[in-house]
Amino acid sequence: MERKYTILAVLLIVLALGLVVLPKKKDLKEADPKALLSAITEKSRYLSVDLVTHRIIENDPTLMLIDLRPAKEFKAFALPGAINIQPESLLSVTTLELLNQPGKDKILYANSDLMAEKAWLLGTRYSISRLYILKGGLNEWYNTFIKQGDVSSTASSADLDLLSFRNAARQYFTGAGQTSEAPVAAKTPEKVNVVRKAPVAKSGGGC
Amino acid sequence: MKKIKNDGSFYLNPYLGGVILGTVLLLSFYISGRGVGASGAVKNTVAATVNAVAPQHVEKSAYYSQFAGGDKRPMNNWLVYEVLGVLAGAFISGIVFNRLKLKVEHSPKITSRRRLIFALAGGLIFGFGSQLARGCTSGAALSGMAVLSFGGYITMVAIFGTAFVVAWILRKNWI
Amino acid sequence: MIGPIISSGIVSQAWDNIFAVILGMGFGFALESSGFSSSRKIIGTFFGYDFVVVKVFFTAAIVASMGLLYLSYLGLVDFSLLYIQPTFLTSAIVGGIIMGIGFSMGGFCPGTSLAACAVGRIDGMVFFGGMFIGVFLFSESFPLFENMYYSGSQGAKMINSVFGISPEMFTFFLVLAAVGMFFGAAWVQKKVKKIEY
Repeated sequence: MERKYTILAVLLIVLALGLVVLPKKKDLKEADPKALLSAITEKSRYLSVDLVTHRIIENDPTLMLIDLRPAKEFKAFALPGAINIQPESLLSVTTLELLNQPGKDKILYANSDLMAEKAWLLGTRYSISRLYILKGGLNEWYNTFIKQGDVSSTASSADLDLLSFRNAARQYFTGAGQTSEAPVAAKTPEKVNVVRKAPVAKSGGGC
Repeated sequence: MKKIKNDGSFYLNPYLGGVILGTVLLLSFYISGRGVGASGAVKNTVAATVNAVAPQHVEKSAYYSQFAGGDKRPMNNWLVYEVLGVLAGAFISGIVFNRLKLKVEHSPKITSRRRLIFALAGGLIFGFGSQLARGCTSGAALSGMAVLSFGGYITMVAIFGTAFVVAWILRKNWI
Repeated sequence: MIGPIISSGIVSQAWDNIFAVILGMGFGFALESSGFSSSRKIIGTFFGYDFVVVKVFFTAAIVASMGLLYLSYLGLVDFSLLYIQPTFLTSAIVGGIIMGIGFSMGGFCPGTSLAACAVGRIDGMVFFGGMFIGVFLFSESFPLFENMYYSGSQGAKMINSVFGISPEMFTFFLVLAAVGMFFGAAWVQKKVKKIEY
């Protein structure tokens, strides 16, 4: 009888010891590699400069622009309403909390696609949803909206519509009637209220 | 295999009982995010009864108004349902182990009457204390210990420490 | 399925009360089958002739604690969503002392008295009935105790933080202590004179 209990007691102690020696697990859950691959090959992560500009002008509340460039460049010029996040701090708790906010499309951009691609891959790997890349980055944006392009004589009506949209946008960004190519001063990035994970209805308790 | 007389004297091995109880507790947290309890159901019943008899009194009371009055439904409460389950589960156990018997259990050295008087007084005092401590041995102590609640441990120590002392003072009732 | 599954919405809220009944049944069965419908068996802990209370109580506590910590580690339970009894130091102690008096006078606590009621023990029924009176008395005299009731609030404090160690480490020591108590109980029970009950 005693023997049986001694074995059980040892088992209990071993289990409790197990709790103490198990390594602390990391908080980030990684996405399944297959899912990651299909996300990479899907290519729906690219948003055109036209689309994003349209949403900027419309003041789309679900838009969150993330500027990955160094702070100096960000201060010199940034897309209206963009937030500056340094690539090194992408995995910090505050950044992840920011990126995990529900109801927002997070659009990454830098001067070109390179840094945005890397950031996108990292974020998607950690299961951050609604993450997008501004196709062509700021360079593309600048070429489309700030530099005036030439109208081709064989432009279709759709192209012409697009062109008039771009002209209007140019005026929006650079001021009415201006043809100067000086970039717009960065608007102070809007204060983003980090929405803490909404407290799920906590169960009642007590005796 | 030793034949077990099913005359009502068979009890489960206490460690097995503890494992079962612990598993029920674990499931309770896993499913509903809370532990079990008992005194809360009494509190809700009292509050609901008083509300049925004197609703204005409930409204004005700083205590009752937390649980009853207005459109609160204290009887439609997790604990009340759980307590009904406790009665059912214990009843089933009573049937299985042949322990259903209407009787007053008491030490042969005292009378039934004395036992019942102490039971009533004990229940009264316990009920009072359970409100102050926001729980009883099941809700505050046991469930509190399961989630390592400091308050739960304190209450547990206070209950058992005091009971140990007082039981010896009242030992004539028991042994 | 991450628990608590009702809070996280995997199972709808409507099932909560149904589970309450089922869990209660498990609770009641465990209590009665272990002998908690007998007040003399319960009180045996304090006189050394039957340590069922210590054995069941502490086994349940360590099974549940370890279980929750392991489930939390495996990501199956979100510990932050579990209800942790908040600490109101003064009322926890005073209320506990009062309950201790009631416990040793009546030989029951609410849960065990229910088990006793269910199998026909009149002393259990009387105890449970007495509780209603006690609760009523407290509620009516609440203004007298209101200050005490709310004092010493420390929120949902966990006991391991009092000692500055991790929950896992505390649980380990708890298990050691519990095992020690179990062996101690067996030893005492052998030495104490037998009681018929």
